[in-house]
Amino acid sequence: MSGNDSSFGRLWRALRRPSAKYSLVTLLVVGFVAGIVFWGGFHTVVEATNTEAFCIGCHEMRENVYEEYKKTIHYTNRTGVRAVCSDCHVPKEWGPKMLRKIQATREVWGKITGSIDTREKFEAKRLALAENEWKRMKANNSLECRNCHSMVSMDSEKQKQRARKQHELAAKSGETCIDCHKGIAHQKPQGMKEEDEG
Amino acid sequence: MQKMFTASTVGLVLALGAGGAMAAPPDWSKAPGKKITLLYPGASPMEWILKGTEHGGARGLKKGESCASCHDEEAADMGKKMATGQKIEPKPIKGKAGSIPVTVQAAHDGTNLYLRFSWKQPAGGGEKMDKDNAVKLAVMLEDNKIERANLSACWETCHQDSRTMPDAKDDKKTKYVKDGDLKGGKFFDLIQWTSKGAKHDGYVADKRVMEGGKGLVDAKGEKKGDEWVVVFTRKLAGGGEGDIALAAGKTYNFGFAIHDDHTSGRFHHVSLNYTLGIDAKADVNAVKQ
Repeated sequence: MSGNDSSFGRLWRALRRPSAKYSLVTLLVVGFVAGIVFWGGFHTVVEATNTEAFCIGCHEMRENVYEEYKKTIHYTNRTGVRAVCSDCHVPKEWGPKMLRKIQATREVWGKITGSIDTREKFEAKRLALAENEWKRMKANNSLECRNCHSMVSMDSEKQKQRARKQHELAAKSGETCIDCHKGIAHQKPQGMKEEDEG
Repeated sequence: MQKMFTASTVGLVLALGAGGAMAAPPDWSKAPGKKITLLYPGASPMEWILKGTEHGGARGLKKGESCASCHDEEAADMGKKMATGQKIEPKPIKGKAGSIPVTVQAAHDGTNLYLRFSWKQPAGGGEKMDKDNAVKLAVMLEDNKIERANLSACWETCHQDSRTMPDAKDDKKTKYVKDGDLKGGKFFDLIQWTSKGAKHDGYVADKRVMEGGKGLVDAKGEKKGDEWVVVFTRKLAGGGEGDIALAAGKTYNFGFAIHDDHTSGRFHHVSLNYTLGIDAKADVNAVKQ
């Protein structure tokens, strides 16, 4: 125990002692480069977890929600712009993104314990999962939707009559995208509550 | 000369007498036509309309938006989706038209209201549910007493448990108004013309009744080439059971439906919500002639 203390103590003293061997420039450059490598590496890993390939790496996503999403306008459309999973489910801003990633570690636990590893288990949980996501998006004022869409940049003249009317109503009553657009990229779950829609 | 004068005087008196008794038809060239697209509604009862998880517009309706304010420009597209079975029609009829554009005209003479409907016969060939009548046209009027009738008009009478609906259990249950009350004024006045030559004057309250009204003077229809023209003559005052008294300066909730190609029950083409005005600004205005 005392040996450990002394080696930790020695390391700590060494770290605190001003360097007599390396110039300040060398230390700054090495520190700067190491910082870039660390920061870049961290972000590369985070970004890797934001790719479509990562999300559908697990059969739980690939065989359920991904199949439904493939039939929607966010997957394929006239202009060829695709919104992948993370575009809708992970905020773009650094702070909210890190918080979301920390929350997502629970999903790792779900994967390990196999909480939705069969179609039946997924169906049994999908309403609760969807409700969680709606709640999150409602709380952040549909932040991910607004990364690409905004009421002010909509040309209502080009919208269908009912879309035009619904958007006017939503703007008037201060509603957010997810209030109406649940089920835009996945099927609406069975047993959805009336207060969640309508 | 004397004889000629006498004969023409007698003729004129007879003509005037006959006109007075039979109600002279209005000059339709003076009544502007309102184009209204009837759509095939599939199985979309009021319960479906109000269910937000099925119908996104339930949200708008609950905030006071009418069916027409969101859908009148796309009535034909919607009708096509349902007629072809793409949406809420479990029993599509082969070749069924998705919509019927109808020209509606109205006029009155202080005593009677005249309503004229004209439309081109769409393609048919489906099952003859009503063997006697190739075509029927029904009009419903409501005197601003039923909550939401100004938003959804006839849909207020359309329910999932009525006959011919997919989940209906009672094949005698007709259309009805929820909390409908004839004495309390919560009803739709209903008049109908059938191509076999019948005319009905009834109402829809807690159930549909096809008689009892005294307002309908006449309902005539004919087909010229491929165009149908149907004209109703109805006393403004009404006077019978389930008759609304129509007054100048007022507007009424108004909708109509065509049972085309020998159909019956829910397999009709219907209008969204409109208003009828008697010398008052409305979607269809009956101006005095």
